[in-house]
Amino acid sequence: MADVLVGYCAAVREGDLVTLESPTHAAPILRELYRKVLEAGAQPLPRISLEGLSENLLRYGNDEQLAWVNPARADDIETVDVRIVLEAPGNTRRLSNIDPARQARQHRSAEHLRARYLERAAAGELRWVLSAFPTEAAAQDAAMSLAEYEDFVFGAAFLDDPDPVARWHEFGERVDRLATFLGTKRELRVVAEDTDLRLVTEGRTWIGSKGQENFPDGEVFTGPVETSVEGEIRFTYPGVFIAREVDDIRLRFEAGEVVEATAARGQEFLREMIAMDEGARRVGEFAFGLNEAVPFFTRNTLFDEKIGGTVHLALGTAYPETGGLNRSALHWDLVCDLRSGSEVYADGELVYRDGKFLNGLG
Amino acid sequence: MSDPRYDRLAELVLDHSLGLQAGELLRIDAEAVAAPLVLPLHREAIKRGAHAYTALNLSGLKELLVAHGSDEQLDFVSPIELRELDAIDASIFVWSESNTRSFSRADTERRQRQLAAQRQAAMRRRDRIASGELRWCGTLSPTNAHAQDAEMSLDEYEDFVFRACHVLDEDPVAHWAGVGEQLQARADELGAVRELRIVGEDTDLTVVVEARTWRAAYGRKNLPDGEVYTSPVESGVNGTIRFGFPAVFSGREIDDARLRLENGRVVAAEAAHGEEYLRSLLELDEGARGVGEIAFGLNYEIDRFTRNILFDEKIGGTLHLALGMGFEDLGGQNRSALHLDLICDLRREGEVYADGELVWRDGHFLQDPQPARSVERVR
Repeated sequence: MADVLVGYCAAVREGDLVTLESPTHAAPILRELYRKVLEAGAQPLPRISLEGLSENLLRYGNDEQLAWVNPARADDIETVDVRIVLEAPGNTRRLSNIDPARQARQHRSAEHLRARYLERAAAGELRWVLSAFPTEAAAQDAAMSLAEYEDFVFGAAFLDDPDPVARWHEFGERVDRLATFLGTKRELRVVAEDTDLRLVTEGRTWIGSKGQENFPDGEVFTGPVETSVEGEIRFTYPGVFIAREVDDIRLRFEAGEVVEATAARGQEFLREMIAMDEGARRVGEFAFGLNEAVPFFTRNTLFDEKIGGTVHLALGTAYPETGGLNRSALHWDLVCDLRSGSEVYADGELVYRDGKFLNGLG
Repeated sequence: MSDPRYDRLAELVLDHSLGLQAGELLRIDAEAVAAPLVLPLHREAIKRGAHAYTALNLSGLKELLVAHGSDEQLDFVSPIELRELDAIDASIFVWSESNTRSFSRADTERRQRQLAAQRQAAMRRRDRIASGELRWCGTLSPTNAHAQDAEMSLDEYEDFVFRACHVLDEDPVAHWAGVGEQLQARADELGAVRELRIVGEDTDLTVVVEARTWRAAYGRKNLPDGEVYTSPVESGVNGTIRFGFPAVFSGREIDDARLRLENGRVVAAEAAHGEEYLRSLLELDEGARGVGEIAFGLNYEIDRFTRNILFDEKIGGTLHLALGMGFEDLGGQNRSALHLDLICDLRREGEVYADGELVWRDGHFLQDPQPARSVERVR
């Protein structure tokens, strides 16, 4: 895994400054990554976090402290060539009892850092990859044993293939074909249970995501025209964000804005997130999940948004390279399973049914 | 369930050692294994209104760098790190390790090269500390590695560490402030002394300390703490001394070292174990054979050797000499890349004479310090 992350995903080169950003729970693979980065002739800069530090700040910090951005981390974003970021939670619900308003305030404070690294990435100055190291907490969220979860993670990343990089190249070709096809379309309509949603993607770029910035990967995504989203959508899977969970989210859009948001559980948090700023009630991303080796929901967005046969939309900020203009401190991916009783129309033509693209595109 | 002793040590570091204020920028340097202390340090700093963050290391990473890095990688100094050091107001080092011997088999030259690369940051830090722009404190969160070196269980070692730091006293800050007054009076008194003579088992050493400043160490820069120290007159050390406790330097041990000094220079050196290593250290540079420090360890809660200099040099009833680098601000003129602390146990047979008068016997000064005798109070 370290090999593929350093060699293929982040394509680390001699002389690169590379931050390795991870909680302590990923220690075994961090050592591997550190060694691989050294072997590539680059300079590894470990940025190790401890679960519990963010709780300290969220629980005890005053407004000024919540709004504070560490200048050293801003310096990282401005200076480094590569970021390798690992998820490795010890407890995915540790922030459940924090006041959502304080969470929103703190999340907003780091917005310009996120915007800046996405900007540098879009300009080709910074490569980054987000991946996950299997932990008990993540396995528990997926309702699996750690051993089963490890198999799932490595399978989703094609690491059980004798030549994972060749497999990702091959997969990438299929994803790119879909991106090209979708790029010819003006408007999409998604129809499923309690869902009928229309959005315009004309003039926007569809991007095939094939293991460079997320690992594992497998989606095509774009930023829809901001004012074009109309209708209703019911998300089959819980929304999971900053270590909290919201169940059975239903959204109604008018002229691109959320005008109604309900949830069976966690509604207060949902509303707080949507109220975070101007852009938080608009859609920044619309995407199809395409990784068949991610067949089920595991309560981790990195995987869930790639589930083959799903779509997701993100409330909040758009990726600049798609042409999406929406900006927000929020980027919350919400996933909708389309594998049964669902259809997608492109400019009125049925192109996708029950989780698969038609006409040999899937 | 968190152990309140860690919380209290954190509070002591922030309130007594650093006097951390709201709005200040605090960096906590530690290995991840120090989490039990790092978390309360961070939490209490946040509660005090400071901007606190951690720079965490993981055991094994620097070892990989030394084993596999190119010369260029070994020499690398992070520009981000240097800019960070210029920004912080306060700095805490939690010197806890997961393995105190992880560099034992590393290539010495490569390790030296990597350490040399860290010197640039260390100098920058030193300059900012000297100019008063940066405060710092070094402490320890108990780990199994340190307990193992001390030949204790982790439970026993925790008791030992927290006792030595006096965190279970009713008011730890008041305790250390009291230690400060007492040690400062002792330092003032020693400041009037011209020559010390140390007599113990296989030991009879005279040390000229005239016109040198003695400093009291009472928990500002180290926790635990408890010593008074100075740099002796460079040419004024004569006689023999035997160091009952092993010296641990760069993860290697020197047992039962015996030195003979003439006019401040080591002229003969023996050790039961590690003699060759000791001699190689003496050859390191011109100043390595000179004496940079003499000090009395006065923390009587530290009653045994634990192979960790943070504690060992403060063992109540001991004296230590350091070969190598002296303290410029105390009048010391010896310069060296070495600073090797060697500890002499004076608890059983030790006597110390100050200008001919017996002032110490069997591990204790005979009288409370007599501030009236002080020529000048130095703080």
